[in-house]
Amino acid sequence: MGVLLDRPQRTMDTLINDLKNRLIEILNLSDITPEEIDENAQLVGGDLGIDSIDVLEMVVMVEKDYGVVINNKDIGEKVFSTLAALADYIQKNSPKLAS
Amino acid sequence: MSTRKKIHIAGIGLISPLGSGLEETKLSLKKNISAITPLNSSVFQARQSPPLPVGQTGTATTSPLPRTHTLAIKAAQLAMKGITATPDAVIIGTTTGGILHTEELLTGEVTDPLQYRHHALNSVAEEVAEMLHCSGPALTVSTACSSGTVAISMALKMLQSGQAEYVLAGGVDSLCRLTYYGFHSLQLVDPTGSRPMDVERQGMSVAEGASLLLLTCDKTPPSLAQVLGCGLSCDAHHPASPHPDGKGAMEAMQKAMTNGAIQATDIDYINLHGTGTPDNDIAESKAIMALFPVPPELSSIKGATGHSLAASGAIEAAIAALCIREGFVPGNTGCLKVDPECGLSPTLLPQQYPVRTVLSNSFGFGGNNACLVIAANDYPAPSPVQSHPPPLTILGKACISGAGHTESSMGRFSQLEAIAGVLNAKILAKDLPVRSVRRLGRFSKIAVAIADAALRDSGQQNSPDSVFMGTGWGALSETCNFLDKLRESDEKFSSPLDFVGSVHNSAAGQIAIIHKATGANITSSGGDYSFEQALLAANNFLDDSSSGAFLLAADEAHSKFSPLFDPSITAETPLADGGGGFYITRKAIPGRISIQLSFLRRYQETTLTEMIKAVTAKGPTEKECAMILAGIPAADTSDGEKQLDIFMRQAGLDIPVIHYRKFTGEFASASSIAAIMAVHLLEESVVASDRKILVLGFGKYLTAMEFMYQ
Repeated sequence: MGVLLDRPQRTMDTLINDLKNRLIEILNLSDITPEEIDENAQLVGGDLGIDSIDVLEMVVMVEKDYGVVINNKDIGEKVFSTLAALADYIQKNSPKLAS
Repeated sequence: MSTRKKIHIAGIGLISPLGSGLEETKLSLKKNISAITPLNSSVFQARQSPPLPVGQTGTATTSPLPRTHTLAIKAAQLAMKGITATPDAVIIGTTTGGILHTEELLTGEVTDPLQYRHHALNSVAEEVAEMLHCSGPALTVSTACSSGTVAISMALKMLQSGQAEYVLAGGVDSLCRLTYYGFHSLQLVDPTGSRPMDVERQGMSVAEGASLLLLTCDKTPPSLAQVLGCGLSCDAHHPASPHPDGKGAMEAMQKAMTNGAIQATDIDYINLHGTGTPDNDIAESKAIMALFPVPPELSSIKGATGHSLAASGAIEAAIAALCIREGFVPGNTGCLKVDPECGLSPTLLPQQYPVRTVLSNSFGFGGNNACLVIAANDYPAPSPVQSHPPPLTILGKACISGAGHTESSMGRFSQLEAIAGVLNAKILAKDLPVRSVRRLGRFSKIAVAIADAALRDSGQQNSPDSVFMGTGWGALSETCNFLDKLRESDEKFSSPLDFVGSVHNSAAGQIAIIHKATGANITSSGGDYSFEQALLAANNFLDDSSSGAFLLAADEAHSKFSPLFDPSITAETPLADGGGGFYITRKAIPGRISIQLSFLRRYQETTLTEMIKAVTAKGPTEKECAMILAGIPAADTSDGEKQLDIFMRQAGLDIPVIHYRKFTGEFASASSIAAIMAVHLLEESVVASDRKILVLGFGKYLTAMEFMYQ
């Protein structure tokens, strides 16, 4: 019997999965699948080869698709540390995800 | 003992947000005024408010010319005031050409190609050359924010080596949405205006301007100062960020001083690139600290002018001459508290100070660095340059056409079959590592694939250190995508990745990063003669201290932009793209094929006679010359055919002529594939090894390249 996840966890999983797909699309990571991305791994300078310009492209995507503005360097560094941290920040700040 | 020719600055045409001409500029600089203000709708109306701070000139656009062209024409008129000589060449550095006008046409959904005739970067140099009746080459360099400095460096080389007596050179860029929103998307714009070197600086202010210098080796006209030396380098580090230790910047500064035979201790003032971005100012400071144990007076004027991109280096070269003439150093406008991390002590307020030598720095995207040394007229010039340098020897070759990579393309050409078309993207990138080229658009992928294949073909262990690249249109996909996304979001969102990829030198910068090529890196944009312009750049900058260079040209076909921009492509023309390139070295190697540029000038009736003279100087009868590959762009068919006919009759040649565009299809850098064809025909012994092949260009330009075994 499968474990039933509570609603916030399901929302978070969906968000992380969405973000993985969006990342592959906007950063043209055509050689990997969403499943191959570890949301807890270091995002910038990690295995995916993501650098500062990619982060800025993600900043635009996060504002456009989730209505979350990230224009502070210190917040940016924390938010883009891992994909899970990014999802967490979006969930807490996105007017589009507010229930 | 002979001394090197002094290269005098005989005229300056300077237009910046500080004013028009040297006097207005001097007064503004001495008052330490910043001209940075919120964008005014007279240039364009930003859809998002508040408008960002920019450096805007008071120049009114004179339709139908785009604003960049208007600025260039006005600067040229100022520079040529009181001068009777006609320049032998015009060299313009520009990053965006007529794009401000293009942006408006695209918004209005204008589909008439004639309206887009000033889009091309090279149309700026053409307008200036036309106005001045210059029949020599009108050259265009596009190396991002170092473009104007590279243009002056190119003029210096041409004058020193006797290729010209008078050259009008410099840079120009107008404000436009592409750069206004592009730099903003990279979070490189300071919302309060640029404050270079300040501890709280947050970035640059995008600006506009034009500066053209009339340079000459003629001692007759009064001279403001002389250009003593130049140095180019490439960071080969990142598409948009400087090397953190300023490694490339240091190399360019050192090269400029070595080239000018001057010691660091002899520099009186350094005009900093000093954009005000946190990274640039730190990297530049580190480079200066490494080269100058006790740095001289130094300051950035970009807190006063903003950063006018391609124009900035030429504006600052003009201001260097002004500092020497007036004996003063401009202040570092906008900087209140110097960033201790920079470790430098910039001159914060303008001051009277005797200046005899200035080092002027310009660094740009793609890691393209260029520095100039400007000196007082009586400063001794360095020793003479080598007047007969060794030939450019081809070590490896590669091309991409609609038929595929080199082997497939040349295989089909050998069967006299057309190779025109647009190669499938997967086949195009088949040998490129997926991850390292994931951000590259079609234009850059073509260029990177050609460079990689040319290196493999050469069999050399090491990559060359320099890159000379030509492109008629640059990265059309990224430019189109950037502007589309901007328009669709009512100017709210723009893509930093598309912006970085859209610059004309993005491909050459990528080649440098992949191959760690830290030497000179120049992108030339000369329409249908872009490869020939790249060859001219290689000829001037590749010396025997270099390990060699990638010399290439490439263009991408774009279903929307190609028929709008390129007059040789109509809605019915089948699209074609690709390019060709070589690994070349400046060494004579017996048994190897050399490439030589024997002619490159704008077409006029008299130029045709001069081209015949240049090509037949050593008497290429049928015995010496086996074949001609002739390039006539479709838009110039009628004129080009007549020119070719006259050429053949007057040169007295009765040899086979191949119209190479019938094979390659219509695209700006088709002549680079013709160059590969010429080498292929020699290597396959289709022609005798003691005879040469000419690749000639007709139409708006007359060009001649010669290929032969040494």
